[in-house]
Amino acid sequence: MDLDPIYLIAKKEIIDNIRNLWIIIITIIFAVLTIAMSALGSIFSDEWQSLDMTVALMMSIVQLLVPIIALMLGYAAIVREIENGSMNTLISLPVRREEIILGKFLGLGGVLSFTILVGFGLAGVVIGIMVPDVNYLEYMIFIGSTILVGLVYLTVALFFSTLFKKRSTALGGAIFLWFFFNMILPIILIGIAFAGAGMSDIISGNVPDWYHAVQLTNPMTVYSTLVTLNINIGGAMSAATATPQVQYPDFYTSGLMISILFAWIVGFLGLSYWRFNKKDI
Amino acid sequence: MVSKTVKCPKCGEQSTIEGVVGKKTIITCPSCGTKGQFTFSTAQPMARTTDGSETIQVRNLTKQYNDVKAVNNVSFNIRKGEIFGFLGPNGAGKTTTIKSILGLIHTDTGQIKINGVDIKKDNKRAHKYIGYLPEKVSFYNNLTALQNMYFYAEMKNVPKSECKPLIVEMGLEDAVNKKVGKFSKGMQQRLGMAQALLGNPAILILDEPSGGLDPRGVALIRNKIREMKEKGSSVFVSSHILAEVQAVCDRVGIISKGTLVAEDTVEKLRGKLNLKPKLVIELEKITDDVVNLIKSIEGVEKIEVVGVMMHIVCSSTSKSKVIVEIEKSGINILNIQTMEPTLEEVFMKFTEG
Repeated sequence: MDLDPIYLIAKKEIIDNIRNLWIIIITIIFAVLTIAMSALGSIFSDEWQSLDMTVALMMSIVQLLVPIIALMLGYAAIVREIENGSMNTLISLPVRREEIILGKFLGLGGVLSFTILVGFGLAGVVIGIMVPDVNYLEYMIFIGSTILVGLVYLTVALFFSTLFKKRSTALGGAIFLWFFFNMILPIILIGIAFAGAGMSDIISGNVPDWYHAVQLTNPMTVYSTLVTLNINIGGAMSAATATPQVQYPDFYTSGLMISILFAWIVGFLGLSYWRFNKKDI
Repeated sequence: MVSKTVKCPKCGEQSTIEGVVGKKTIITCPSCGTKGQFTFSTAQPMARTTDGSETIQVRNLTKQYNDVKAVNNVSFNIRKGEIFGFLGPNGAGKTTTIKSILGLIHTDTGQIKINGVDIKKDNKRAHKYIGYLPEKVSFYNNLTALQNMYFYAEMKNVPKSECKPLIVEMGLEDAVNKKVGKFSKGMQQRLGMAQALLGNPAILILDEPSGGLDPRGVALIRNKIREMKEKGSSVFVSSHILAEVQAVCDRVGIISKGTLVAEDTVEKLRGKLNLKPKLVIELEKITDDVVNLIKSIEGVEKIEVVGVMMHIVCSSTSKSKVIVEIEKSGINILNIQTMEPTLEEVFMKFTEG
């Protein structure tokens, strides 16, 4: 594989997103939301929320926002160029199809990673000034985990972009995916839990291991578990809400969570290549 | 078009015949005159021998969409330094053939080699030889003409310094820094040609290069095609504009309903079809007697009278007889013009029905 075309395609994607101001807009959204989350805490407690608490509050926003942004970045990456005809010229150049897929992924992945890193990073610096004893390592783990889950959704979107013939269909597919992972899949998993285990067990947190294993099919659950395992979100949340902390089984490790997220990325990147390689342009 | 060496069952004389795959060809032995028929096999038509000078070799190319064979067992070669015109009615399979050559679509059967490199085995290496102008030219609309060219130059590993002169050569000097999204169809076509010419490719593949161009643009593209031939490049031109093809092409291939029905020089195709030249004579006046007189001349096939103009289709040998007979009749000839059969007539003959 030649790195030059991959680099050139990735560079073009990044420059395109700088030109159309996507990078700036998303970065500002991430930074403003994070700072707002921390600052809003002062309404109730006369001081800004700590980074742990801010991360806990940010989790639900990240789970909604990051997939949307990743899907929007990736859903048209391939199908747009096929639809408007520029893919004809691109493929006629000395470049392999896998290099195009990798270039698109690295470019768009770079845009997504940059916006998350800078957006949350800037917010972290501001919160660090306002709040004492900030654990920046934990905050970096949160940022890294968010980038990983963002890349998962990006590769899924990239696959959809190779799957459909029209941009509108790919957009519909991306919207469905967002609903599926955020609404439908959690309901299915809760249904499975209620069917297999007693309600009292689930409410008391005493659920069987298979239920925990099934939960890992949802990348968002894997992401929130990864963050919770490394940042004292549970403690912060339970202290604030006076609810018992979530107990994870022993096999829930950071290594497993990172491996699952990587498997999603590699798997869908492979699927994207397979589909794109079979496609008649 | 495929060729085959056949042996006469009566006298044993060997001869080479040409025909279309799947169609019957009537053969007459040049030695003893015995008549026979031969059907070219759809399985493996004989490939023309190659001496290494072929830049594009297409063998038994077939591509099917659902139940329709868009391209059916097509084989042809394009030689180094030649301009090859690829003609056919709408939906005949021209663009499918071009896309197959470029590896944009996956063929069902067949082999395509670019400068000896199998497109299926090493697509990337094969593309290093090619400059391509697609039928539907499209660029990155958010970039300027120069920015688009820079991207393609980098991808082709060609110096960026080539970009601006090419844009200017294609008559877009006022639009170098204009966003392509604001370009007209003709301007996009010109930029597409500039992109295809980046790096002086050994093979230039142009799919309908005159589309959307004004006459000046058409002439510019025609000159560029000739210039590339002079530099030693092979040019593959697909076009509907037969006059354009006739003006620049060394050889033509005619595709109809997915099958290559003819492949040769325009002159040889005319000969194969036995198309006769047309004599256009302007007379002082035209009478029934003179029309009947000309009709009676051996070799005269058809007469059309338009005002004082007489269009006569006849063999080359009967042209002088026609002129002599008119003079004998006492009617003054004001003007005489001989029109050779055009590519359009060749095209119509091969694609009719």
